Amino acid sequence: MLHRTVLLSGLLLAGAGAIQAAENRLERVKKDRADVTAGGLWVYNDLDQGFAEARRTGKPLAVVFR
Amino acid sequence: MKQFVGVRVVQFNGTDLARFQFDPDLTYAAFFMNADGTLYGRFGSRSDMKDAEREISVEGFGKALAAALELHKGFPANKSSLLAKTGPPTRFKSPEEYPSLKGRYQRTLDPEKPVQSCVHCHQVLEAERKMYRSAGRPIPDEWLRPWPMPDVVGLSFDPKEKAKLRSVAAGSSAARDGFKAGDEILTLEGQPIISIADVQFVMHFAKAPAALKAEVLRAGKKSSLTLTLAADWRRPSNFAWRPSAWDLRRMGTGGLKLDPPSSDLATKAGIAPNSLALEIKHAGEYGEHALAKNAGFRKGDIIVAVDGKSAPMTEAELLALMLAKPVGAKVPATVVRGGQRLDLQIPTQ
Repeated sequence: MLHRTVLLSGLLLAGAGAIQAAENRLERVKKDRADVTAGGLWVYNDLDQGFAEARRTGKPLAVVFR
Repeated sequence: MKQFVGVRVVQFNGTDLARFQFDPDLTYAAFFMNADGTLYGRFGSRSDMKDAEREISVEGFGKALAAALELHKGFPANKSSLLAKTGPPTRFKSPEEYPSLKGRYQRTLDPEKPVQSCVHCHQVLEAERKMYRSAGRPIPDEWLRPWPMPDVVGLSFDPKEKAKLRSVAAGSSAARDGFKAGDEILTLEGQPIISIADVQFVMHFAKAPAALKAEVLRAGKKSSLTLTLAADWRRPSNFAWRPSAWDLRRMGTGGLKLDPPSSDLATKAGIAPNSLALEIKHAGEYGEHALAKNAGFRKGDIIVAVDGKSAPMTEAELLALMLAKPVGAKVPATVVRGGQRLDLQIPTQ
């Protein structure tokens, strides 16, 4: 019984940790999006828009995966 | 950057895999291209998990940008020299088409769950390897040791330059080929080179053996050299640093993370110098990553023999050895634990 309780507690803690990590990451993603779009230099996560802008302006593209 | 249209991509879902071919274990990769899709070059290299900036620098990125602008000025007259920079067709058009990712991920992110619905780049490499493994076929070298750093043939580049050699290892095949420190590689196999990643791209798709034609700038003069790749040229490439190696550990060693022990620890364990010694730093605890733990291996054990071999090897070399075995093989191994030697079997899957 004690063994099961310890195991269950461990799983719950691990689950809580995973949820917290995902929430932290979500916050970082939101902040990153706000920072990138606020700068005005980057098209955010829209390759079609980037290609259309490159065709319109004659500029080359710099596509960054991060 | 103002001379470019910058696009920041934060997902791999829906990405055109044939157009954007890069080392999927990177956390930063850039492509410079024309609006018609022609690629001028790529940027982003890595050879270590902790030191992400060993192969890249702001200066190097700036020089790659400047070189891409030069290629843009020369477009379309230079288009034929750029076509091979995109790479051959890929097995699937986009990541979520891989069988192991299909159904789990969609072409677009879930706006409510962007983190959970995002395909990570390295998952494509894992998915490709699984295709071979699940078919009972060996993982080809280009997928086991992908995007090799040119150091494997003796070429070490300056990260603050485009593709300039910082050093050439004495006695290496590149040294025998005539490469010298200070050489700048202008083209490789006819492709304009604007970064270390561009060199890696050509090498990634090279055969074994191969002879790659290079044009270098040395003391202001251009000259032609040949970069010789031996039949086993990829073998020294260390892939254990890669995030995708986690899945190789599941397949090859049942979930073991291995590192050389300190010399003190090896001495205390009675391990002779110049012999195999790999300490188990982590043994997976759950599911398919717990096979080695379930077979009796423990964190802190030192592996001193595998499959009858006791010569020194790295974790990557051990993984390569194990992954050459049939799926499901159990390979004899000896570990030292608390001063005692134990015979166990490393499970593959």
